[in-house]
Amino acid sequence: MPVQNILLYPHPVLKKLCHPVAAIDGEVRGLLQDLTDTMHAGPCSVGVAAPQIGVTLRVCVVDVSKSRNGKDNNHGLLQMVNPVIIARSGAAIMREGCMSVPDYTGDVERSTAITVRFTDGDGIEREFEASGFEAVAIQHEMDHLDGMLFLDRIASLKTGLFRRKNYK
Amino acid sequence: MNDCRKDNLSHFAVTVISKDRPGIVADITEVLYRLGCNLEDSSCTMLGGDFAIILIVSHEKPFTRTRLADEFRANFDRTGLHVHVRTLHDNEVCPVKEEGELCLVSVYGSDQPGIVYRVTRELADRTVNITDLNTRLIGTKETPAYVLMLEAVLPQGMTVEDVELLLEKLKKELNVEIQVRVITPVSL
Repeated sequence: MPVQNILLYPHPVLKKLCHPVAAIDGEVRGLLQDLTDTMHAGPCSVGVAAPQIGVTLRVCVVDVSKSRNGKDNNHGLLQMVNPVIIARSGAAIMREGCMSVPDYTGDVERSTAITVRFTDGDGIEREFEASGFEAVAIQHEMDHLDGMLFLDRIASLKTGLFRRKNYK
Repeated sequence: MNDCRKDNLSHFAVTVISKDRPGIVADITEVLYRLGCNLEDSSCTMLGGDFAIILIVSHEKPFTRTRLADEFRANFDRTGLHVHVRTLHDNEVCPVKEEGELCLVSVYGSDQPGIVYRVTRELADRTVNITDLNTRLIGTKETPAYVLMLEAVLPQGMTVEDVELLLEKLKKELNVEIQVRVITPVSL
């Protein structure tokens, strides 16, 4: 299956709300393979969501097993259709970058542990808990399915903490 | 090959430091907008009671520093807003590519002369490149404390542990807290 081009913001598809997949068929399995191939082709890439290759379906892939931050705590290659987060806990800030928003990074707060439910490429419903970098990557890719970029979640300008005189 | 250089553009560094009030950025950028300038990069922040603006501005050639400076002078001389404009040469336009680990160094302790100098000298001597730095005097008049936060790119092969070790001596000598953390962005 071919590696697809990653769309760059301001491509309008990146801000679209994606549609749920009705049934796992050959087309969806082909999409999962394209996303996986595209992820593996990108340097340091640990995830790709369908809208990043121009498809507005709730499908994404994540694999942090080869990354420095995720190699000791992961579930390998995750091919996720209609993923939902059904529980979350903790919060931590990490500086994120995105293949669709090159040359910019920002500090984003994410849950440190999530329980995610999705349908895999064989049509089987799966559910598990992810934590650490894998949890961050899943949340980042799932944001794409709602037309959200990390730019929508930047927690603060770095210096904000030190400027404020009054706290609410 | 210099990808980011556009031969048809002239680049200028514009700096403004003025007593803070709402509207300084709008006033400055309105002049630039009307002249047809582009904001290539910017950093604007409060410094004490002043507001500081640093901009990299470009304009299609032919365009001169004098034209830009005159326009600011005509608009702002009465208001006391002083704008400084410098021509950037072609070799100044492109950002240096960051390659090593990015780390955040936080230093805080009782205020004393030389905190910034001593810390940054240690880093400079090992070609650690500071990309961002800010400081603040906090606490009370009787017991002032100083906070220094900086982000820096380490040279290839240098680790956060190396930096910690490097600053350990200084920590004891100045009796300040020093923490070093990796903040290298994750690519998703």
